[in-house]
Amino acid sequence: MSSMSWREASDLFDEKAGTINPAIYADPAIYELELERVFSRSWLLIAHETHIPKAGDYLSTYMGEDPVVAVRQKDGGVKVFLNQCRHRGMKICRTDGGNAKSFTCTYHGWAYDIGGNLVQVPVEQQSFACLDKKQWGARQARVDSYKGLIFATWNMDAPTLADYMGDAALYLDAVLDRSEAGTEAIGGITKWVIPCNWKLAAEQFASDMYHGLFSHGSIFTTAEIPTSPLGLGRQFRASEGGHGTGFFVRSVPELRITNAGECVPGYDPVADEQAAVARLGTRAQLFVQHMTIFPTFSFFAGFNTLRVWHPRGPNEIEVWAFTIVEKDASEAAKEQLRLSSTRSFSPAGTWEQDDGENWVEIQRVLRGYEARRTPFNAQMGMGQDYGVDPDLPGRFKQALSEGAARGFYAHWLKLMTEPVGEHAECGSVARAAE
Amino acid sequence: MPQNNSLQSATTDIVEMGRTITPALQQEIEQFLYHEAELLDDRKIAEWVDLMADDIHYFMPLRTTRGPRDRNLELSGAHDIAYFDESKASLQLRLRKLQTGTAWAEEPPSRTRHLVTNVRISTTAKADEYEVKSAFLLYRNRSERQTDIFAGERTDGLRRVDMPAGFKIFKRLILLDQATLEANNLSIFF
Repeated sequence: MSSMSWREASDLFDEKAGTINPAIYADPAIYELELERVFSRSWLLIAHETHIPKAGDYLSTYMGEDPVVAVRQKDGGVKVFLNQCRHRGMKICRTDGGNAKSFTCTYHGWAYDIGGNLVQVPVEQQSFACLDKKQWGARQARVDSYKGLIFATWNMDAPTLADYMGDAALYLDAVLDRSEAGTEAIGGITKWVIPCNWKLAAEQFASDMYHGLFSHGSIFTTAEIPTSPLGLGRQFRASEGGHGTGFFVRSVPELRITNAGECVPGYDPVADEQAAVARLGTRAQLFVQHMTIFPTFSFFAGFNTLRVWHPRGPNEIEVWAFTIVEKDASEAAKEQLRLSSTRSFSPAGTWEQDDGENWVEIQRVLRGYEARRTPFNAQMGMGQDYGVDPDLPGRFKQALSEGAARGFYAHWLKLMTEPVGEHAECGSVARAAE
Repeated sequence: MPQNNSLQSATTDIVEMGRTITPALQQEIEQFLYHEAELLDDRKIAEWVDLMADDIHYFMPLRTTRGPRDRNLELSGAHDIAYFDESKASLQLRLRKLQTGTAWAEEPPSRTRHLVTNVRISTTAKADEYEVKSAFLLYRNRSERQTDIFAGERTDGLRRVDMPAGFKIFKRLILLDQATLEANNLSIFF
């Protein structure tokens, strides 16, 4: 790896041996390279379509560490641009969301329209003799969407979003496509800080069914979540791209009731599930499905929590989570999902609060020099044969495997060892004629 | 000398909605809030849940940073996702989880200190119910060095009951003074 001090890429992740060098979670040089080679060229989740339904509706978010603004345009499209004034780099939008007619930098007053075009510069006539405003709009990202989710990338050479997700895309359907009406986001994006590396969270959602029984045992018991007989379950490793998912195939319609602690009057979980099964077949009954679309978009089906693990240095993430529901669900079903999602997957969630505990402790241990160079074991499921399921596409290992984790790190390593190409050029860096 | 209404002596009654907040009532409600804080800090969570009325709504909305056009959207709404949106049943579920001994976010448990201050009482249309606003500072320390500090405001609905504690809480609205939660989890109560 040209710009790094490691001798061999396989020093960082050795797929054949099934070992991970923990330095990848803690080394500042690796993190810097990730911002360039992973985050600047992958497709990153921005928002749900219904977060910004009307022209001028906007949402401030991040692509990696870069702040961006996503804005609904008058033609119905969405623009995503860097939240950075082209004059001296001040944020041009300092609020979390709402509706805007324009974005005005509060430093010197450069104003941008909702498309990110520079439209007004104070004292332009008298002091900027040769400013070509067309050349100085906000940096535009490339935007694509899939079944209601908006993604963006800085990589102008990237494949389409559908091609990027490849054979993993079908496994998003358990949350995105249960009804012909599509989905809507329930209001509110929950944001919190966890002092851990982003890959701990992303890999767990891609691959780790294993931790559930132990980490979440306390809520499995008290919310009476069936743990047997679940069978072996399935784990799917995308053929490329680093995506992964795991689940059991079983109907547990009462999940949202037992985890909320109560049933909203009028909620009929069986009817609710039958409608989805009629549309998706077995794919509507993926129980405790966890999934990551590489690098940082993860979701947990059933509670329909979607989130991005925004990296904040090697040792910290911000989790941005929201919940989606079928547009045509009954009011009772929406309320049941809202309560069960809030009470299970959020910083206070009875499932999620224990995840944060694990990742924080791991990261703290990695302050140690010896800890950082003591390999981690990721061998689970190696040597195990792949199987097929007549009702589900692709090949699987059993749910208790780390095949998807190995796929995640193999793709990560591929990106980290490939220099970034032309797309890294930062677009319209125009020179004003002197 | 003209009297400044905001500076009332400890012996002066405060009149709200035509009824009176006496110094004795002020003290009684403050002592109740201190008792409640002590239960939480002493990890007597079952006793704390018992202070919640059967119709408790325990609610901590999300907060956002908004511009002037959208300032009314600063708090998430009743039908949005929240940090906490709890009923008696869901608080009891949380209690049972904590009692398993394997709820790792609180095993080993956090050390907390609930500081409650700025207590302002209002009477309501019901003679035995009060609305009580207070400010809180919640210090949480766990494991070796993890420290979190939460500040905010609570608006409680208190109902007088024939129990040693004197009141039950039937409403708690918690406004946290953070937009992005600066903590890895909320495994404690406010």
